[in-house]
Amino acid sequence: MTSQTHPPEATEVAGTPGTLKHLLHAKDALATSMHTVEEWSDSALDRWCARAFAHQYHGSERYRRWCETRGVTPESIVRWQDVPPVPAEAFKHFDFVAPEGHEPEAVFRTSGTTAGSEARGRHNVLSLDLYRHSMMGPMKSALLPDDDGIDVVSLIPHARSRPDSSLSVMASEAAAAWGSGCYWLVDAEGAYVRSEIERWLDRHSDEPVLILSTALALFHALAEGGPLPTMPEGSRLMETGGFKGATRSISRDELYARVEERWGLGQDRIVNEYGMTELLSQLWEPILHDGPSARGRHRPAPWLRVRALDPTTLREVPEGETGVLAFFDVANYGSVSHILTQDLGQVVDGDVRLQGRVLGAEPRGCSRTMDDLMASQISS
Amino acid sequence: MTSDELLTEARRLRSSATELRQHSWREVAQAIDHVARRFLDPTDSLRVEALGRLPEDALVSPEMAEVILDGMARDWVAERIDRAIELDFGDPAVLDGFGTAGSRRLTAVGPELTVHIVAGGVPGVGTHAMVRSLLVKSPTLLKAGRGDGVIPELFCRALSDDVPWLAEACLARQWDRDRVDLTTAALRHAEVATVYGSDQTISAIRRTAPPTTRLVEYRHRESIVVVGSEALRPERVRAAAASVANAIGAFEQRGCVCPHLVYVEDVGSGGPLGFAEHVADAMRRLQVELPSAPLDVDEASALQQLRGVAELHAATSTDRVWYGEAGGSWTIVFEAEPREGPPTLRRSARVRPWADLGELVDRLRPTAAHLQSLGVVGLGDRTEDFSLELGRLGATRVTNPADMAFPPPWWLHYGRRSMEELVRWVELEAG
Repeated sequence: MTSQTHPPEATEVAGTPGTLKHLLHAKDALATSMHTVEEWSDSALDRWCARAFAHQYHGSERYRRWCETRGVTPESIVRWQDVPPVPAEAFKHFDFVAPEGHEPEAVFRTSGTTAGSEARGRHNVLSLDLYRHSMMGPMKSALLPDDDGIDVVSLIPHARSRPDSSLSVMASEAAAAWGSGCYWLVDAEGAYVRSEIERWLDRHSDEPVLILSTALALFHALAEGGPLPTMPEGSRLMETGGFKGATRSISRDELYARVEERWGLGQDRIVNEYGMTELLSQLWEPILHDGPSARGRHRPAPWLRVRALDPTTLREVPEGETGVLAFFDVANYGSVSHILTQDLGQVVDGDVRLQGRVLGAEPRGCSRTMDDLMASQISS
Repeated sequence: MTSDELLTEARRLRSSATELRQHSWREVAQAIDHVARRFLDPTDSLRVEALGRLPEDALVSPEMAEVILDGMARDWVAERIDRAIELDFGDPAVLDGFGTAGSRRLTAVGPELTVHIVAGGVPGVGTHAMVRSLLVKSPTLLKAGRGDGVIPELFCRALSDDVPWLAEACLARQWDRDRVDLTTAALRHAEVATVYGSDQTISAIRRTAPPTTRLVEYRHRESIVVVGSEALRPERVRAAAASVANAIGAFEQRGCVCPHLVYVEDVGSGGPLGFAEHVADAMRRLQVELPSAPLDVDEASALQQLRGVAELHAATSTDRVWYGEAGGSWTIVFEAEPREGPPTLRRSARVRPWADLGELVDRLRPTAAHLQSLGVVGLGDRTEDFSLELGRLGATRVTNPADMAFPPPWWLHYGRRSMEELVRWVELEAG
């Protein structure tokens, strides 16, 4: 990766935890460390987890009191696992901001359109810069390990039109950083932008492209009469999200088979991303590193810890056994880091094998927002 | 099972109507009574088998299985059936021929085939539906819900042992709701179909059913409890809280008659909070007396979200949360102000204060379309006026919390007489 990095454990953070000054110092310290995906030792991560928790504890009255009722303080924790995980549902009901009272630079929202709840989860992002830094290294490693510039073809709308979608922000940041040419084929309502499609087709060459898409957008783009031709050799595809709540769905294997058939991209060129609005870091399948054998195995960003928990006791289950996933994300420094999801999975050698979402739990994340838009376009 | 096989069964059932109509409703009732008494007899192999299989099929504890079987089967004995028939039809003779209703001569003809599509969750509900249609002498096909497979299977088997002519007229099956081909086949020859389920399920069945099939719909509803100041008196409060806890815990709260919200009159001395604490105590005792079955992953995970969010509210307010230790599924949330939060499930309820009944009616207005039973305790002479208001709003049953879980067989299910609703009236004007 970039040479402008330093070991995370070497950094110190000024300012009193819970203050904006502390957050900004932490952000600066993290920014450089997050450019590497290789140099995060356990001890470094433990220190950052402790710092993040102390900051959130002192920066948020509600969070502090909640922890206190559980007898947990920054002084009492020995390991990051001692920090109580906040239920992901809480993002629908509370504004987690540390320090409180500061205007977030962005608010990422979940779709909240299914499973009977109208409430939408919201993640207040005090520092978009920290989000960018947390996102870029792992994303580049997963999608462009061999390249610094590539044409980006996105079936995800640009962040200009969807500023509350973390996925749109991710796509826009990636395009700005690595896109030698950028083509935004879908608008904020999920409709195809014919002029952009034609612009890309006009410049279509043998140079590889990076395609960014949700699973449902991909499904529609691959349909009979879909707008995109065979992709140049060396192209790669980022796919994220699922089909739950959509009127039609196919298996991931079938979807990928269609990608190969229609676009000529084999299993070794399709990378699945797993993320959620409540986490500012992501997990990626290391397909471009390890080949198709990495399918179904998601690697967390180095500053993102994960455990599988018994859903009744919240005790960690043995490695390889299925549990409800809980994440500690240092990139959530300005909100709350330890999140209890409703996703099921196994943790093996630090990677996650997803088993799906708990029945009845809502599909979340900005990919669903996009999928809802796409679905409405298709049905109209 | 294929759709052709089910279609054949539906035709066979329909053709059994002729034989079934040769018998009196009383003969049907006696046959059902016999099976009910076997379910209630501790020494009978039918009861033993039912109690042995219910916990796994319905995901309830053995203790809860016994309570459910007793609560359900007692409604199928002759005395209860007689009362239900009388209240639905007045003169029971109308079921066997022309009877009198005032100056009119009427007969009630049961459908040539009734199909019941029953939601899952509560064992016994499917059998209730079968009993109702058999009593109006309608051949019956039941699509039993998930967790409600055992009792109807044993009910039909017991009939085939003792009353083959009635057994010929009933069939219970289970299939996944995604098997639209089977549902379509089942409905093709149905004269009447009753549908229990979510609004989505109802809509789907409306699209599937032929225009010649009359649908009787029981869509998703929820129940609440309203507690008045008289129930907060020291000598009454524990009993009232225990009855509320029992209503919450019945069927592991999978029934539409189980409350999820408890409104308690705020008399200015911490009454609602104190009552919530009493309910929590009662839930704790209930967990010992009537244990819940182990939580599955979905439920356990959802409860973690519910409790965590409630505790975050409580961290900066006067809200409180009580819940069972690991494995105990109950959760009671006291909300000083109404909050949005994850849904309650598996012995969970929100307790909220109210100060003015008129204002409470207004608060409940948005849920009017989905109001089911209203449990009332301690309202004194305000009960009738309040019930009238809630009835106008959407509730169809006002009862004591202690009776919420097991309505009698003559209850006005969704505000209608559930057996009368199945029949076609024929009036004889001539002669």
